[in-house]
Amino acid sequence: MTAPEQHAKQQPLDDAQPKALGTTVPKIGVFVCHCGSNIAGVVDCGKVREAAEKLPGVVVAKENKYTCSDLGQEEIIKAIKEHGVEKVVVASCSPRLHEPTFRNCITRAGLNPYLLHMVNLREQCSWVHSHEKEKATEKAKDLVRMGVSKAARLEALEAREVPVEPTSLVIGGGVAGIQAALDLANMGFKVYLVEKQPSIGGVMAQLDKTFPTGDCAICILAPKMVELSRHPNITLLSYSEVEEVKGYIGNFDVKVRRKARFVHEDKCVGCGLCADVCPVKVDNEFDLGFGQRKAIYIPFPQAVPLKYTVDKEKCLHFKSGKCLLCVKACTNKAVDHEMKDEVISLKIGTIIVATGFETYVPKKNGVYKYWEYDNVITALELERLLNASGPTGGHLIKPSDGQTPKKVAFIQCVGSRNKKIGNNYCSRVCCMYAIKNAQIIKEHEPETEIAIYYNDIRAFGKGFEELYHRIREDYGVEFIRGRPAKLSQNPKDKTVKIRAEETLLNKITEREFDLVVLSTGLVPSEGSRKIGKTLSLTVSPDGFFAEAHPKLRPVDTAMDGIYLAGCAQAPKDIPDSVAQAKAAASSAAAPMMARKVRVEPLTVTVTEELCVGCGLCTELCPYGAPELVQGEKGGMKARVIEALCHGCGTCAASCPQKAIVAKQFTDEQIYSELESALVFDGKAHASRAGHKKKAEAEV
Amino acid sequence: MGEAEKTFISGLHEKLVEDKVIDESQLEPGFAKEIQKYGGKDVMTCLQCGNCTGVCPISLKIDYKTRSIIKYCQFGLKKYTLGTRWVCATCYRCYEHCPADINPAEVMIALRHIAVREGVIPPFVKIAATNLVKYGQSVKPDAEIDKIRKELGLGDVQSKDPDYRHVLREIAVLVHATKYDKLIGIEEEVKV
Repeated sequence: MTAPEQHAKQQPLDDAQPKALGTTVPKIGVFVCHCGSNIAGVVDCGKVREAAEKLPGVVVAKENKYTCSDLGQEEIIKAIKEHGVEKVVVASCSPRLHEPTFRNCITRAGLNPYLLHMVNLREQCSWVHSHEKEKATEKAKDLVRMGVSKAARLEALEAREVPVEPTSLVIGGGVAGIQAALDLANMGFKVYLVEKQPSIGGVMAQLDKTFPTGDCAICILAPKMVELSRHPNITLLSYSEVEEVKGYIGNFDVKVRRKARFVHEDKCVGCGLCADVCPVKVDNEFDLGFGQRKAIYIPFPQAVPLKYTVDKEKCLHFKSGKCLLCVKACTNKAVDHEMKDEVISLKIGTIIVATGFETYVPKKNGVYKYWEYDNVITALELERLLNASGPTGGHLIKPSDGQTPKKVAFIQCVGSRNKKIGNNYCSRVCCMYAIKNAQIIKEHEPETEIAIYYNDIRAFGKGFEELYHRIREDYGVEFIRGRPAKLSQNPKDKTVKIRAEETLLNKITEREFDLVVLSTGLVPSEGSRKIGKTLSLTVSPDGFFAEAHPKLRPVDTAMDGIYLAGCAQAPKDIPDSVAQAKAAASSAAAPMMARKVRVEPLTVTVTEELCVGCGLCTELCPYGAPELVQGEKGGMKARVIEALCHGCGTCAASCPQKAIVAKQFTDEQIYSELESALVFDGKAHASRAGHKKKAEAEV
Repeated sequence: MGEAEKTFISGLHEKLVEDKVIDESQLEPGFAKEIQKYGGKDVMTCLQCGNCTGVCPISLKIDYKTRSIIKYCQFGLKKYTLGTRWVCATCYRCYEHCPADINPAEVMIALRHIAVREGVIPPFVKIAATNLVKYGQSVKPDAEIDKIRKELGLGDVQSKDPDYRHVLREIAVLVHATKYDKLIGIEEEVKV
């Protein structure tokens, strides 16, 4: 039996076998794009066009150097008008890039925008098969044939419009969250800013000075913090956490847990009388354990809101039921140990995620002995020790004896650029903060000898290279190119000896230092992971939140209406965080300004007669779109809340009754593509038919 | 091109090439791939941080820098890697510390494979291999060792044991079958 005969005799795959289109085959236009040489350099586009011309329903097939150009689009419009084309196939790049372009294009020619099908000849063919030109051309023909077959079965859909609540939620009160909230509030939108700590400010509030200009971090941040707290459009929800987010762009229902701070915010004036009498002293997290605070506290003097918080873990009253000295001391009756957590509901239009980062914590018994040696500290600890409002009043000390260190070493790339611990990325700020801190130390104590052990110095920002130059020229800081291999401590004076290869000299060096500072990298925060799950955000391989497109949509997420700002997306410095926050605010403002937004009609529909109410779809849906309701004719039936549906098709693929159909991805459309993948020139592919034969024999 | 000779450990002489300028004719572009073929990881991922040199017990004692050898491999300077790699003790400390997750020790083993295929074998390796074939151990038995063993109350070394002959024969058969004898140039001495 020859291959075509065998194909003719084959049984339908199943009941979803594409129906014959009969006499009403729609008129299809195929447009093959060269994409300059991106596609045409590998695929013979002329042959692809010739093959397309012969396909059933195709009334016109054209090639273009750039189909997305004005010229290319004009040709599509012309073909639609001249040949009466009803469905359009564009064989070019990924639909992620140009689907909106071509939908707009065919809309201009009077067609429904959803009567377009894109065949990806670039990412899925020419780019991956650049060494197999002939086979790539054959594959391109196959892909176009499949696309034409699907296009014939496309149905017109209408985009929906949903209203947008002009209120934004900013999660995270670091510099990025503060800036995004201020920008949106200044545009006139209502903003809720949720911060889990008692004060906003984030890591920037802990820093001493900022690179490359040497501005005092808190001096430039505090005015913004105060402005935010006083802004009429902003509601600051400090010491709070986002607990639940439901809904979709323009219409999110958010639940926020306001943790009990045991101090009424409306009554507390921040006078500090309570902390004066509190008998409990504990390490202050804000000073990373170098300083102390009371059990009722503000983390730092410039805290916003300037409201005290009771640390429930440490407060004597919660341990013994006694004390209450703070309650007696407070003249405003603000302290209330009976306070309970409170959950509030918010109606939100757009969300900005600015959940920030954590600094990498070196491992116990690691090479750099952070936990074992007193005089090995992290860079953030150094920031606190250099800070005028820090635990030492800005005087740098050796933790072992409180003396001023004479020789200081910085070790770069700790927790960054290390495949062993899984952090392959560069944290982007460590080179510059080490150089900046070296400068501050030199300014405090000009006699200090400083060496920086580095792998590569990345001084790429505005003014960075100039600072790098200054630190060598004016301050004489030494740069040693090599990653330290071994640290050992002198048990008597607690100095630390560093062994490292100076790779530029090809020599192993051993040097002693009084203080070793680990330039630790930035890692995704634990809180971010939780928020990411709550919001169904996607994560990049590095663990930070993934943006919708690395170049063209850097602040958007795959979820409409949710935007990213600051280090939650990737490590970045303060100017970049602020810039991104402003960009996120602008992106979030766009739908709120319009008060309505168009959402894709690519959702699913449920055929109630087929549904048996098993509820599998409700379990599998990542967006909570399907729900079980009482059917009209009795029994539980699935119903999909269209506004929540993202059209991912998980439910449609898993429905055992095939009661759920994903629009534009119906079984009929998908099977028609599969069928035409197996057919060539009206005949079954010999090799593939062979596989089928074998499969049948095995059955 | 000037060449200098340097002795590392007994019997191992290395010809140090002292090029003032390295031109393209000295580079072998596919060298990194060749190393991968012989079981090494991709040396191109090395950041040249020097951590491997710092932890290497050999690098502390002699003029051998693990990082430089990886650099030569990246560059394709095959001849610069001759000789030195034999001193690697394969303690794997470099692998433990490498932030790029390369295994320099296995790169050294791959380099040995490549060198042997090209007939570059240091004398001490040949001697040890010959001893292995002849006596079933890499150290040649001698009267001095026998004397010390006797003083310590130990018996003869195994290779003197008549029952041990069939083991030696098995080694000889294997060595011949794998052409190992030809590789180290002792095929005349192996009788099968």
